[in-house]
Amino acid sequence: MRLTGRDRLFLFAPLALLLAGWLVLPALLGLLATFSTYSPFATSVQFSGLANYAAVVRDPLFVAAARNVAVFTLVAVPLELVIGFSVAYLLRRPFQGRAALRVLLLLPWLVSPIASGVMWHFLFGGATGIVDFVLGWLGRPDVPSPLGDIRLALPAVIAVEVWRMAPFVTFLVLPSLASIPTERWEEATLSGASWTGRVRHVAIPAVRPLLLTITMLLTGLSLGTFDAVLILTGGGPGTATVTPALYSYNRAFGVNDWPVGATSGWLIAAAVLGAGLIYVRLSRTKVAG
Amino acid sequence: MAVTLLAFLLPLLWTALASLGVLPDNSSRPPSWRGSASLDHFAEVGIAEPAFWQELVTSVLTAACAAAIAVGAGFLAAYGLARAPFRSSRVVTQGFLVLASLPAMAYVIPLSDLMRRVHLLDTFAAVVLSEAAATAPLAVFVLHGAVAQLAPEWEEAAVLDGAGLFRVIGRVVLPLVAPSVVATAIVLFVLDWNMLLVPLVLTSGEIKTIPLGLSDFFTFERELDWPTAAAALIVSLAPVAVLAGIFHRVLNRFALDLRTGA
Repeated sequence: MRLTGRDRLFLFAPLALLLAGWLVLPALLGLLATFSTYSPFATSVQFSGLANYAAVVRDPLFVAAARNVAVFTLVAVPLELVIGFSVAYLLRRPFQGRAALRVLLLLPWLVSPIASGVMWHFLFGGATGIVDFVLGWLGRPDVPSPLGDIRLALPAVIAVEVWRMAPFVTFLVLPSLASIPTERWEEATLSGASWTGRVRHVAIPAVRPLLLTITMLLTGLSLGTFDAVLILTGGGPGTATVTPALYSYNRAFGVNDWPVGATSGWLIAAAVLGAGLIYVRLSRTKVAG
Repeated sequence: MAVTLLAFLLPLLWTALASLGVLPDNSSRPPSWRGSASLDHFAEVGIAEPAFWQELVTSVLTAACAAAIAVGAGFLAAYGLARAPFRSSRVVTQGFLVLASLPAMAYVIPLSDLMRRVHLLDTFAAVVLSEAAATAPLAVFVLHGAVAQLAPEWEEAAVLDGAGLFRVIGRVVLPLVAPSVVATAIVLFVLDWNMLLVPLVLTSGEIKTIPLGLSDFFTFERELDWPTAAAALIVSLAPVAVLAGIFHRVLNRFALDLRTGA
């Protein structure tokens, strides 16, 4: 239908008001503040150029956090996509109980990162944990929790996040894979395509835009990793699992170094917006091609 | 395949057993089980964290209000975008997805300052509106996809019958996309239910949601008993699990496919 100006006001005003007041305005005010000495309790505010940014990138703790989150994103996101897609691929043909199974697969995602942190703290732990139980059955000696090991803490945190998000990817991808007409699979099989050929030429093209969208969401989630490590390791041991979000929070609310906290928060935003530009560009090539 | 499914569900099964008091005994060889099932640990949750049941109510209220506001505002804007004549509506929609991917940490520090200045700190309204704003972009993206799939002929027929915008949306569009709207509301409810950072920086204990309560009693009482913690986890998971179970057919309609608009 043809929308009048008043119609448009009615349609867009609520969202505009909500986003402007509780997202865009704070974000932009925050950006402005990063170029100054502003802090909520400062008596005077001065323009300080890029001094806050220099302070952040020179801080070894932030460098460690940036490195951790880069590893986290580059390992966790592909694993979540591959495992999530694979399980969906295996479930693509209808069978009795598939709908129920799909909801069961949603369960890990329903657990909040905080709750999953509490849970895995105990599951990785000694006396009542799942890891030592399995090792005991295999006749192996108990191992100390990987969360306390400087080399294993980050892989353990990544594994927990993959456990939480991969089934959610399956949940999102399954309807699209299941809706591919049977003839397409048969055609591919008849023309002699191997299973890798069927994945590449039948499955992937059908879900490519969807995978791109999921990748964007998972990337943003990974770059902002905060509650997933807060309980599990608190950033430790040492700096092994500290993330930029944890760093920002501790700076702004822990030690009251507001400008540095707000600035590193904005660096997270910059990374996500950069990923967003790539996402929009990649979506466009699909249309042209 | 069965192995993968087991790997995903076993940790939760382990937790459920622990909440009932059935614990593994890792010191014996081979490991064995001890304890008999009882519901005592669920009662202990209220003793270890006296405010836990109050937090449960607060969580339901904030998540429900935030999801309702976000889906409402998001749906109207998604409809406007899908039926807008301008050609860049696709890029705008993708922009909403990028905004949906933006971690809250990117802007909550100045947000908490802003809320303090307008005297909304520690209020229900600030938590609800901030959570709604954080999740509304995702609602716009998903619902834009749902509306864009509708053939505009239905609406045009209603307009010819003299219907205005309200009637077109209420009588024609909404009934057709209702499953998508409900599915989006459920997903947003879960996101709000599990959100930590927004209530964490906007309140100082007045408005306490479940994740905040869990993180508190875990940070300050390291010696927390595992069966009690497990019981708290199961209680915090139950409402969203039941919701997902009831609406599992509708949840099929939560689609992130980027469909080309009209």
